Amino acid sequence: MKLLLCASLGVMSCTLHAGEPAYLVRATELKSKPFSDAATLVSLAENRKVELLLRQASWTQVKAEGTTGWVKMLSLRLGDPTAPRKSGDSGMGALFSAAATGNSGSTTTTGVKGVTEENLKNAQPNPQALKVVQTYSVNKKEAHQFATAGRLTPQKLDYVSNEEGTK
Amino acid sequence: MKTSIAMLAVALACAGCETTGLKMPDLGANLTALAKAGSSMGVGSGKQDVVAIAMQSGQKLKDATTDITEEQEIVLGQGIASNLLGAAPLLQNRNVQRYVNQVGRWLASQTERPDLPWQFAVLDDAGINAFAAPGGYIFITRGMLARMNNEAELAGVLAHEIAHVLKKHHLQAIKKSAGMSLFADIGSYAVASKTGVNSAIASNLAGAFKEVYARGLDKGDEFEADRMGVVIAARAGYDPYGLPAVLQMMQAFSAQDSGFALMFKTHPPLADRLVLFEKLMAASFERFEQQPTLAPRFMTSSGNDRKK
Repeated sequence: MKLLLCASLGVMSCTLHAGEPAYLVRATELKSKPFSDAATLVSLAENRKVELLLRQASWTQVKAEGTTGWVKMLSLRLGDPTAPRKSGDSGMGALFSAAATGNSGSTTTTGVKGVTEENLKNAQPNPQALKVVQTYSVNKKEAHQFATAGRLTPQKLDYVSNEEGTK
Repeated sequence: MKTSIAMLAVALACAGCETTGLKMPDLGANLTALAKAGSSMGVGSGKQDVVAIAMQSGQKLKDATTDITEEQEIVLGQGIASNLLGAAPLLQNRNVQRYVNQVGRWLASQTERPDLPWQFAVLDDAGINAFAAPGGYIFITRGMLARMNNEAELAGVLAHEIAHVLKKHHLQAIKKSAGMSLFADIGSYAVASKTGVNSAIASNLAGAFKEVYARGLDKGDEFEADRMGVVIAARAGYDPYGLPAVLQMMQAFSAQDSGFALMFKTHPPLADRLVLFEKLMAASFERFEQQPTLAPRFMTSSGNDRKK
């Protein structure tokens, strides 16, 4: 379904789908399973191009030269390191807009009528919409039921300070 | 209460016109409407007089440590939210809106401000962005929702925005932009409005909100929201790698891409944020590896499974 969505929109925007290019920001071992102590299949060099397959928590399944295995998600950057960077608009936004709204009649050069700086500065307040938003609200009890239905279990964890986070 | 707010509102509106020469979509107009809405819908500042609160806090601010009250924060947030809703319409899908509120409210329940009147909404906008307003208003664009794969990713983005509210980042940015004395001035300004409008203060306030949203927050605030966002998602029981995954997805796009223009302008480079996550999460997040992403529920509830 996800592949279908990506393909039909003509967008390479889905977080992950087979064949999407990525590269390694450092030399990394390709693991047989998404665990640090899993067997190493092959060592991959920095800037090595891979194909994305699937994410599982902090791990991403990739294919490198025909070998499929796992690397840490955050050792990857999406895109092709060897492809020349386009300086202009890729048109992806425009494609997405047309596909999602069925309206490609925008007269702007970018093709997307997104929230822009100009929009914000010229925005007229919309108190009616705000009232509608208030009808969507969920109380704590409802939220708890929703979490239970999804088998979400609350965890205890403190915030991490800047110093701790960048050690 | 109505009278006081209305006076503040009129003053704000006039001040905007006067100083900029533009037809300003003023915070003031919102506040008028909100004063009315507040009395019928139980929102806003409740029984307390906003101006009185503003005056109290104005006094306190002179101690230079205390901030505005929660009631004030909520009313100001409603004004900002109303303006954001003027920039983009709501997605007309009640089920999707309710779903996003369920995820968001559950996340907010795991924080130090669980009882704010948290409100979440999807904007019918193809761009890729999310916004927070003081007092608990969180917005996400349809474009961003459509590019997500599971509930953990949605939770990660909402948690980042929730963190901005928890830390009052926008209020601080507005203070910085309009001058530290701005909020303190609200009190004396309310008194002045009975005899004559202090337009300088009012236009500062209205203009400052707009400027902050167009310019974005400090980089440090964005990094802080990232650090807090993954913690809040983990506390709520989600796979905490949803936020980094969304940012990684966005990194594949050029800053010139139209759908991302404002997001790139108002946030630190994604590469820097991904490096931060790597350092932050390597040590202490391993124990949350097995928490769910709830992809099936997300695909059904977000409407993403119906898009072909």
